[in-house]
Amino acid sequence: MDPLTRPLSRRQLLRYTAGGFALSTLAPVLAACGGEEEKPAKSGSSGAQIGGEMKLWWWGEQEAAGLKKWVEETNTKFKTKAGVDVKANLLDTGQVIPQFTNAAAAGKPPDVQFLWNGIYHMENAWLGYLEPLNGVISDEVLQKSGATALSTFEDKQYRVGWYAIGMGVAYNKKLFEKAGLDADSPPETWDDLLAACEKLKAAGAAPFGGGVKDGYLGEWWLGHALTQNLDSPADAINLFIGELDWREPRYHEHWTRLEELYKAGFVNDDINSLELYQGIQLMDTSKLGITTSVSTLLPASQKQLGEDGVGFMVLPVFGTGALAGTPLLDSQGFGIPTKAENKEAAAAWIEYIHSEERVNALYDLVEQIPANEGFDPAAITNPLIKDVQERWIKGEHLPYIPNLMPTLFWTDAMFVASQKILGGERTGEEAGDLAHEVTEKWKKRNPDLVENYRTWSEDLAAV
Amino acid sequence: MLRTRPWVPYLYVAPMVCLLALIFGYSLVRVFDFSGRLIRGASGMWTGFLNYDLVLEDPTFRKAVENSALLLLAVPILTVISLLISVLLFDRVRGWRIYRSVLFLPYILAIPVVGIIFSYVFQLNGVLNEILRGLGFDALALDWIGDESLALWSVLFVIVWREVGFGIVLFLARLMSMDETQLEAAQIDGAGWFQRFRYIILPELRGTIEFYAVVAMITMLSGVFAYVFTLTQGGPGNATQIVEFYIYNQGVRNSLPGLASAVAVLLLLTTLILIAVLFRVRARATEEQLG
Repeated sequence: MDPLTRPLSRRQLLRYTAGGFALSTLAPVLAACGGEEEKPAKSGSSGAQIGGEMKLWWWGEQEAAGLKKWVEETNTKFKTKAGVDVKANLLDTGQVIPQFTNAAAAGKPPDVQFLWNGIYHMENAWLGYLEPLNGVISDEVLQKSGATALSTFEDKQYRVGWYAIGMGVAYNKKLFEKAGLDADSPPETWDDLLAACEKLKAAGAAPFGGGVKDGYLGEWWLGHALTQNLDSPADAINLFIGELDWREPRYHEHWTRLEELYKAGFVNDDINSLELYQGIQLMDTSKLGITTSVSTLLPASQKQLGEDGVGFMVLPVFGTGALAGTPLLDSQGFGIPTKAENKEAAAAWIEYIHSEERVNALYDLVEQIPANEGFDPAAITNPLIKDVQERWIKGEHLPYIPNLMPTLFWTDAMFVASQKILGGERTGEEAGDLAHEVTEKWKKRNPDLVENYRTWSEDLAAV
Repeated sequence: MLRTRPWVPYLYVAPMVCLLALIFGYSLVRVFDFSGRLIRGASGMWTGFLNYDLVLEDPTFRKAVENSALLLLAVPILTVISLLISVLLFDRVRGWRIYRSVLFLPYILAIPVVGIIFSYVFQLNGVLNEILRGLGFDALALDWIGDESLALWSVLFVIVWREVGFGIVLFLARLMSMDETQLEAAQIDGAGWFQRFRYIILPELRGTIEFYAVVAMITMLSGVFAYVFTLTQGGPGNATQIVEFYIYNQGVRNSLPGLASAVAVLLLLTTLILIAVLFRVRARATEEQLG
């Protein structure tokens, strides 16, 4: 255990053991000090009133337009149900992590915090800023909430899922048909992909690409392509902490394949001057054949290309790892900060969003697939989303590997390597060398985190 | 005559000194303190000069320093352009007040707005290149922010485009406060435009130019983050990585405030040294002039 976090963990432990009694005796006193009306402190899940205020910091409208409506409706209904006044704050993308970390360090976090998966919340868990949810949220909700294995560390779950994200490769069916390709049988192997790109190019479209200026396409590519040469998610952690070597050809083959696409002239020429969503727009406007995408964006693409104008597939296979060809599934989610002021309301709110009515409303209102195993897919009318539900969620799937990536690797290796390869400035092999250097750099800068990663790797080896 | 005790003036300024010490002094002390620690959350263990060692051996930091140094080229460019335009406007060409407002307009636009607009303008298939292609200059339609060899110069162009307005207004204000009888006398004596510029206007503007150069230099070293963030995000590759962006990456994205603080300390010291050198040069020049 990281010595820096140990005192906080002890404090947490004391808090848990003393929890119920302390809260029940202190709550009325604190409420009286605050001049608020005294309200009975009962569990929201039982339907009784909790009262008070709850701060919710959330994110998601940026990638799934319409979520705001669902959040507002949820909070209105929750106020009626539990008497809790939810103050919701939609976070800017760049503020999701630093704003929470800073607030938690200052002892002023919200009661419910939006959390991206994997390392994006696990570092805060290691710092003691997030409450383990076991015992706080019912086991039933924890198990069915679709948080994925990347939300658990040493058997403690720090996050519940909210909506599911199928990570895949989207393609423009109209362009496929124009190029003489079977739009209902997308490429499954790397050779198939190259052949499809050749035909798309001949038909006058940019075959593959998007926008990499902000780096996210590079991250998605890493997720789809690196995974193909791994045998377990633990392999990814072992790469990031240097137990496996990026310089081995199989561990940088994903970049060599990207280089191959670039050198064959299959990538849109403006990829380095466009951002992720601008690149996806190229596909939506029939200027680009194939791009990496996520299920949350599919309804928007369908609005432009028609319900049957968009296809969604797993990245065609080139790798030989045990994970090759398996769909990647991620989810957005929520957690409760250790120093949240109204944990009872927070727990009740999280359980409430996983009630059948709220889960169904998420699909009805926003067309997003809820991260909840109890969700009845019969409600899905959109055939493409139904396909995602069946293949990505119900079927065998893997966690999204880049969520294990240390952020230094993101900024100094992935971001740089993908842009340089797509600018013709670096080869895949050189990118492997860079990844190795950055891994060593990260270890020197974060000696205290290496052990946590190692433990996490052991956890994930069992997945 | 009213006599006061010697310590009374200090008493009067004490509240302001305390306030400044609280705002700036405390922050500075914290930055210096953080730079010697491995910060996790609110604090962390003392690691001495390790952060400085890690930073100085990092090739990404060296690239950032190189790029920040290249951006200093904007200082003479800004100074010369501002000077020339302000002198032209001072000649009261027809419509000079309108020109002055138009030229100052970019400066009042928020940097992120400017950055986002130019990020669209400079795309490979953006507005600028569409115009160039429309005019038949296809060869000039380059990947302004997507090409490693061009991206930093595109950022520099946008910085100059926005910041030049401040220089123009500053120089023009100084010129307008000048005693113009000297210029009139020189003109009567047969001095041409260049002679008047060289021997009257430039010496009059000297202090303002020095002030502007210092401000522009500080801006280039520690005030252009928003341009890079909105235009290129440090890419492609590390082509537009600058010291400020490096600080942001380490402090915010990589959760290493200690390391970010070490870079901030280095940046602060570098800026102070450069300013000290400039003032020293100025003082020497003034001494030479007087003596």
